[in-house]
Amino acid sequence: MRRTPLHDEHLALGGKVVDFHGWALPVQFAGIIEEHNHTRAKAALFDCSHMGEFTIRGEAAVKAFGDLVCLDPLKIPVGRGKYGAMLTENGGIIDDVIAFRLGEFDFYVVTNAGPLEIVSPKICSSSDAVDVSDDTAKIDIQGPSARDILAQEIPECTTLKYYQARRAQWKGVDIVLARTGYTGELGFELFIPNEISVDLWRKLLTYPDVKPAGLGARDTLRTEMCYGLSGQDFDESRTPLEAGMASFIAWDKDFVGRHALAKKRDAGGYPVLTPIKTSDRRAPRHEFEVKNNGEVVGVVTSGTFGPSVGCGIGLAYIPESLTRPGTKLTAGPRDLEIETTTIPIYTKGTCRV
Amino acid sequence: MSQYPNNCKYTKEHEWIRADGAAYVVGITSFAAEQLGDVTYVDLPKPGKEVKQGDSTAAVESVKAASDIYAPAGGRVSAVNDALADAPEIVNQSPFDDGWFFKLENVNAADLDSLMDADAYEKYVGAQH
Repeated sequence: MRRTPLHDEHLALGGKVVDFHGWALPVQFAGIIEEHNHTRAKAALFDCSHMGEFTIRGEAAVKAFGDLVCLDPLKIPVGRGKYGAMLTENGGIIDDVIAFRLGEFDFYVVTNAGPLEIVSPKICSSSDAVDVSDDTAKIDIQGPSARDILAQEIPECTTLKYYQARRAQWKGVDIVLARTGYTGELGFELFIPNEISVDLWRKLLTYPDVKPAGLGARDTLRTEMCYGLSGQDFDESRTPLEAGMASFIAWDKDFVGRHALAKKRDAGGYPVLTPIKTSDRRAPRHEFEVKNNGEVVGVVTSGTFGPSVGCGIGLAYIPESLTRPGTKLTAGPRDLEIETTTIPIYTKGTCRV
Repeated sequence: MSQYPNNCKYTKEHEWIRADGAAYVVGITSFAAEQLGDVTYVDLPKPGKEVKQGDSTAAVESVKAASDIYAPAGGRVSAVNDALADAPEIVNQSPFDDGWFFKLENVNAADLDSLMDADAYEKYVGAQH
């Protein structure tokens, strides 16, 4: 397994390390629910150094990148990020991406660890696009106290609104700072050189309101927000239309997969990734079949207990005709009763404050 | 001296069983609770249910996973731990005491002979790592 530059920190903090797409990462420290609740109440640190990062500079490289993704990089205001996906010719999702426009033709693109071997050569087919993943660590601070704490280390963070990003410095070292995340809470993602990652991680943990959190809490937090996870909720077998990304498709420009996607859109009749919940603490689980009156109609792709909502929650591919909130269905071998609900499942997040 | 209570017998599926007056009380070990992580739901049998050794008798869910709890011995379910319905985290906090799952009466004593004692269970868990 590959290790992030923070690996020894995780072990020293008692992190329980697991294999995540070939990376040794902590699934939990104090406990998933405790870390989840702490993120919603104060602030948590996550090591996401396994993720992919690219710098793309110059008009030609940016345009080449735009041909690869369903978002339109040239429509992003400078200083902002946009969510989208890289598709196959058939419209299947290779990976989801966030593109940050730091300057007119100065982009910073973030992708996932799993499909990086496929994604990296595509983005780097342009010589002014560079895969900086191996040199870059990523520390995220997420939670309602995140800004007050981070401002003491990186004052520029207070200038950022939700989904904005900028270059900044910590102790004289250049970093990229984005006000984004996956928890639904106010938070920042910090893209930093490997060499300063241990120092910054340790420094942030000196603040009493900051605690480390692992993949487990990250999963319960993002599921409560209905954020799909690449490789779990979608892959090349699903299109953005199905995966709840319809509003992130820039139809007015060309991109790989657009033709197949438009055909699918016009034909209709595809299932849609839909939030579900249970009426008690039992949870739907990944790969549970979804049934309507005993007939299999779909599949659960994410499922867990939602600590902040107190019931089982998840995401499932369901025919559009059954997605109306409150539709009663069953899931799994024991026909667990579920019902469709609205996005997000947890509605009190602080990410836009 | 084992880190697991000597007054219990243990299954390979990480249940424990212990004499409790004329009945026996059943739960999951601290090792199992730790492996599961935060327990979020416990499904308990109805009192009066007759079970054979190895029958799936209860279920436990954590944030990460769901698993069945098997009867360490045959018998009749005489009581269940209702406190777990509202506070399943007791299983993590006190797996060998307050976090018990159910009690069995009319236990088939011969079934107990096939279970591990505390020392054997500790070796068994050690070999799992």
